[in-house]
Amino acid sequence: MTRYVMVADLRRCVGCQTCTAACKLANGTPPGVQWRRVVDMEVGSYPDVQRVFVPTGCQHCDEPACAAACPTTATHKRADGIVDIDYDLCIGCLYCAVACPYEARTLVNAAEFAYGAEPTAAEAARFDPRKIGVAQKCNFCVDKIDAGTAAGLTPGKDPDATPACVNACISGALAFGDLDDPDSRVSRLIRENKHFRMHEDAGTGPGFYYLWDKDAFAL
Amino acid sequence: MNPMPEKTRRTVPSYCYNCVAGPDLLTVKVENSVATEIGPNFAAAEIHPAGGRVCVRAFGLIQKTYNPHRILTPMKRTNPLKGRDQDPKFVPISWDEALDTIADRLLKIRDAGMIDDKGLPRVAASFGHGGTPASYMGTLPAFLSAWGPMDFSFGSGQGVKCTHSEHLYGEFWHRGFTVCADTVHCRYILSFGANVEVTGGVCAVRRHADARIRGIKRVHFEPHLSPTAAASAEWVPIKPKTDGALMFALIHTLLFEQPRDRLDLPFLRDRTASPYLVGPNGWFLRHPQSKKPLVWDERTNGAVEFDTEGAVPALEGRFTVAEAVETGADDEEWQHREIEAATAFTRMAETMRPYSPHWAEQICDVPAQRIRNLANEYLDNACVGQTIEIDGRTLPFRPVAVTLGKTVNNGWGAFDCVWARTVLACLVGALEVPGGTLGTTVRLNKPHDNRLASVKPGPDGFMVNNFNPTRRGKWEQRPSGRNAHKTLVPLVGNSAWSQALGPTHLAWMFVREAPDNWVRPSYPDLWFLYRANPAISFWNTAELADTVAKLPFIVAFAYTHDETNHMADILLPDATDLESMQLIRLGGTKFIEQYWDHQGVALRQPAVAPCGESRDMTWIATELARRTGLLERYNAALNRGAGGVALKGETYDFSLSTDEPHTVEEIWDAECKAATAEFSDGKDVKDLAWFREHGFYTVPFTRQDWYLYPTMVDQGLRFELPYQERLTRAGIELGRRLHECEIHWWDKQLGEYEPIPRWHDTPEIWTNALKKSGADPADFPFWGLTTKTMQHSTGNNAAIQLMDEVAGNLRTHGRVAINRKTAEKLGIGRDDWVEVRSIVSSTRGRAELVEGIRPDTILITGQFEHWATPYAKELNYPSLNTLVPMSLDLTDATGSGSDLVRVSLRVVEGPAA
Amino acid sequence: MKNDRAAGGRPRLQRYWDLRAACNFIGGGTGTGLVIAASVLAMFGKPFVAPLLTGLVFVALGLTAILFEIGRPWRALNVFFHPQTSWMTREGVMALPLFGFGAVALLLAWFGGYGNADRALAVFAGLTACGFLYCQARILRAAKGIPAWRDAALTPFILLTGLSEGAGVLALLAAFGFAPDAVYAAALLLCLLRLIAWQRYRAGLAHRNAPEASRKALDGIGLAFIGLGHVLAALFLIAALVWPPIAAVAMIGGVLLTLAGWFSKAVLITRAAATRGLAIPRTPVRGRGASRAVAGNR
Repeated sequence: MTRYVMVADLRRCVGCQTCTAACKLANGTPPGVQWRRVVDMEVGSYPDVQRVFVPTGCQHCDEPACAAACPTTATHKRADGIVDIDYDLCIGCLYCAVACPYEARTLVNAAEFAYGAEPTAAEAARFDPRKIGVAQKCNFCVDKIDAGTAAGLTPGKDPDATPACVNACISGALAFGDLDDPDSRVSRLIRENKHFRMHEDAGTGPGFYYLWDKDAFAL
Repeated sequence: MNPMPEKTRRTVPSYCYNCVAGPDLLTVKVENSVATEIGPNFAAAEIHPAGGRVCVRAFGLIQKTYNPHRILTPMKRTNPLKGRDQDPKFVPISWDEALDTIADRLLKIRDAGMIDDKGLPRVAASFGHGGTPASYMGTLPAFLSAWGPMDFSFGSGQGVKCTHSEHLYGEFWHRGFTVCADTVHCRYILSFGANVEVTGGVCAVRRHADARIRGIKRVHFEPHLSPTAAASAEWVPIKPKTDGALMFALIHTLLFEQPRDRLDLPFLRDRTASPYLVGPNGWFLRHPQSKKPLVWDERTNGAVEFDTEGAVPALEGRFTVAEAVETGADDEEWQHREIEAATAFTRMAETMRPYSPHWAEQICDVPAQRIRNLANEYLDNACVGQTIEIDGRTLPFRPVAVTLGKTVNNGWGAFDCVWARTVLACLVGALEVPGGTLGTTVRLNKPHDNRLASVKPGPDGFMVNNFNPTRRGKWEQRPSGRNAHKTLVPLVGNSAWSQALGPTHLAWMFVREAPDNWVRPSYPDLWFLYRANPAISFWNTAELADTVAKLPFIVAFAYTHDETNHMADILLPDATDLESMQLIRLGGTKFIEQYWDHQGVALRQPAVAPCGESRDMTWIATELARRTGLLERYNAALNRGAGGVALKGETYDFSLSTDEPHTVEEIWDAECKAATAEFSDGKDVKDLAWFREHGFYTVPFTRQDWYLYPTMVDQGLRFELPYQERLTRAGIELGRRLHECEIHWWDKQLGEYEPIPRWHDTPEIWTNALKKSGADPADFPFWGLTTKTMQHSTGNNAAIQLMDEVAGNLRTHGRVAINRKTAEKLGIGRDDWVEVRSIVSSTRGRAELVEGIRPDTILITGQFEHWATPYAKELNYPSLNTLVPMSLDLTDATGSGSDLVRVSLRVVEGPAA
Repeated sequence: MKNDRAAGGRPRLQRYWDLRAACNFIGGGTGTGLVIAASVLAMFGKPFVAPLLTGLVFVALGLTAILFEIGRPWRALNVFFHPQTSWMTREGVMALPLFGFGAVALLLAWFGGYGNADRALAVFAGLTACGFLYCQARILRAAKGIPAWRDAALTPFILLTGLSEGAGVLALLAAFGFAPDAVYAAALLLCLLRLIAWQRYRAGLAHRNAPEASRKALDGIGLAFIGLGHVLAALFLIAALVWPPIAAVAMIGGVLLTLAGWFSKAVLITRAAATRGLAIPRTPVRGRGASRAVAGNR
């Protein structure tokens, strides 16, 4: 089996938003819509305060609350763990959006562009009318993964089969791959480091692991 | 994603050099002749320290290309009146008309004489951040070279937005125009405001991330919790402008609270001037005949010349020297017999004795015990005595570094900081050795692309450094440039970069009002402006814009309408990053943390056709040369290397004929061939076609060349520390020259020339400046600071929506960051509009309440408050630049000022109308 | 979510569902409350047409409001594709027999009743209305992104406010002679039960550390919601019960009871719907720095 997951090493991330920008170009998201973003958090109070940069987006959960809520089956989990949206099925009710504990979903009701009503040439090239009026979110660059695996490439290892955010990440904070492959980079990182998933209590089983320290007892 | 026919997609290799921490090698995805995506260049993964990754700013280049607000035809001003309140009434014109208009002006200027009656060049030029425009201006440098005298005095933020004192003193002391940690080997970094996670580029970010996983400890001192502070092991919220005091306390701890033998005594003895004997007048004691500095030889128990074979110099102590001379300013000489002298080290220790951690606690707002602990950790991690083998040579291994950021490194107090940082490195032998504090490039010495080759032995056992002369008769009494860099700043020298590193705000100040006994400089007859917007990026921006409006003829290479080119007479639309061609050097050692295991060149090439009528800078430069009759000199300059590489070398000759214009492709084809021939000794010549496909060419670069130490050892040289005899001499001589001209407004600056810096209550300089202006310091109770974000640090991309959007994920972007408790006391809530006011002006923005900032400090990120630049002018973001005065009182001896201002804070209804 | 991305992961108000979505809960709650009341009346042989018809109109208006909310209204029928897990599909599924039984019951009643067939169908409509109302409550409970909705104690409140609103409208109808006076007592009882459910829900939110914005928004309506919607409404209903000559004042009590329910749902959907926020249970170890546990985050 295959279970694609994302790993974000919080020790590495510096909040540069390169992943955010790369995602926006790769997926042609309109202004204000970010499938991948890095949240700028503060913990504690002055002067005993820490600032943490937390990459986030769709967590591609084992038990996606969005998919359970979706009345149309437009949001669905694939066998490889990727939670995807069928834009032709979605009615844009956004029940998925309120069901998601990770604020990962958006809807735009009308075409919006960076500099007003008219798209730039690049925006026009990437404009997809199917995404108007429906829910949208990170899909782990699923088209790239499918094309890459069809060509015999390994997601998380070969750039042509790896999500744009991971390819772009300058600090090496983001990693992607198959959790069911014990030799994959993500398996190794999760094995060797202390980690958590966000809002574990929600019972969604997120496929997004946050590393925060070395695991001294890792084998 | 839309499905695209396979045949219409291609990927074009290129580079981004929008900041000095590049180039980043990138790929451009082009679909149906439209650039749609930027990505890393994984073909460079093996040779690039960050695996071919590219910084966030580069992702904005797609929007930069297709921004509908671009200026896409040459334009001329039709409203002769200039000013912020005037509509320039630009109208489109042809390239022929635009270039002929400029050429006519230039020819008339040439006829009138290149230098005006005040001795100043009639033509001036200003460029943006840190020399990066040079990587986009094609062959314009060849045109500038062909033209002749040109004034680069008018800064767009140079000197105040860079790490200025480090540039000057760093290069002086260890060929470190930019200085960083050897992060690859380092284990402990004391970082004073060095916001490397934001401005260090992808190589630095990747290396520091790796280092964190490896277990480095970085302690970051800054009044606010910047991304670098956040990613450090500890954040120390130090009081603004007290970093020097804290570093003095660190030195004190090492000198007086640790056994002496824990320091790197051999390094201090052999690689620094610590053992040099200092006479009663404060000058080195010298041999009466050879005039070489003397050291006390413990072997013979007598004073000997510093380079005496077999001598064992005493590091510290006081000794009676039988016979010696001191040479002071203006060759003043004292003959001594049986004179007592202390070593430079002892003089330093005596000066540092009062600066205990307890003393610093009161000044810096950092507990004494914490300072003491940090000093001891620094020493514990220094591995004094250990070695490491680098490419076959055994070198000292000292994995500790001290790094300095902007504002720490600018204006008053910066000399203290750079000196203390370098001395901290010397005390443990961690200067220019593996793991330690490194310089990465030179700009005031040649050659620019090889700092090791710039090291030449000087007379006193130090490297040669060419100060601007201060001796009577040699001193440049009448400035040859409007910022008077040669006249006022001996240390800045006179290289191609020196003028832009002079006190560039003085040019803006003095053309308006000259100080006493100073001839007010003229306005240049013609001003070229390229990739710079000083009316936003410098200080007291309202007044600066008003000054720009007084310039008689401005030629601006214009991307969009902006606040400076609002006053221009001609706008020229140059092809931007993804539309034009240029070859630049990469790797080796360059700015910031650019030290690679490879070096070579990279090509920027048109991924898409230029939009509208925009033209490649090389074409524009060639046309300007042709139309001004300078073609032969222009081509000759290219052949000499003005395009980046000399077209003729020992093993190759790709010279261009000088009597005809060459196409953009012909020129860069020759550059490509020459560069590859240079790197391969003529064995491996690659042409433009090869570069268009592959993007870059590299050869291995030995890691040994990251460090200056081997060169110093090989040449038997010492770092010119800790005692500043030469600087002091220059300062005294400069003072005499100025006083001879009845100039006394530079006297405070002269006070900074000290052999060993002493603490002068730096923060008080700001309150004193307020008092002098008639203001009550109590009315301005906060420190106003600014900081960069990776999205908006340089690159002039405030008009790029994508950058604004992604920067918006950071809490302080476009806002005034205030300590939460301070805000509560003032009744300020999140999102409230607040006005920040200084003595010169005010700015408004929404409040962001944060825990990670000192209660006495407010922070305004980036440089905004645009009023002409499309998109940016709608943002209503605040800007510290509006608030900071240009002031002689706040200018240090290097001609730099700090990005720092005393301010007040109050809630207001909304943005300024 | 597009609003205020710089909030640092703190909870923020959802803007996915607005007043149009709230209208579905308002119309659906009041409507099903009325249909359920009608079915009870039908069982006891009382006139049920007016409340049944009014109830169906309310439900239909609520569903129509949704059509204006969703991004692709012409694909609305896709809503039926996921009965396995989606409470929204189930709500849609329940709407079919609700309108089916209700419409036929009204039709039969129009033509004289066909014995008690109209009443029987009205009872079936009431049963499906219970299902519809329950689905609405579960829609909110399954919204894991909104702690104020996810709370299990919200379910009884949603059910009881639906019934109360139905009873409130019924009280209004009774004042005009379309329903028996006994509804006043039922309304009074439901008023009391809803108040208990509300207080239990509110206390639970505080106990379970729901986002402050949610609690503040709900606290903010307390005076109007409890004072007017319950205490005053109850006084009018009691007055009507104890002194029949002024029974018409029950109309005011009914209106207050109903409006309070609508108001509470409008606030719940639009102003109290703070997201959970993004949070981490631990800060990372940067080099040799220290991690710290973040209180309250798991």
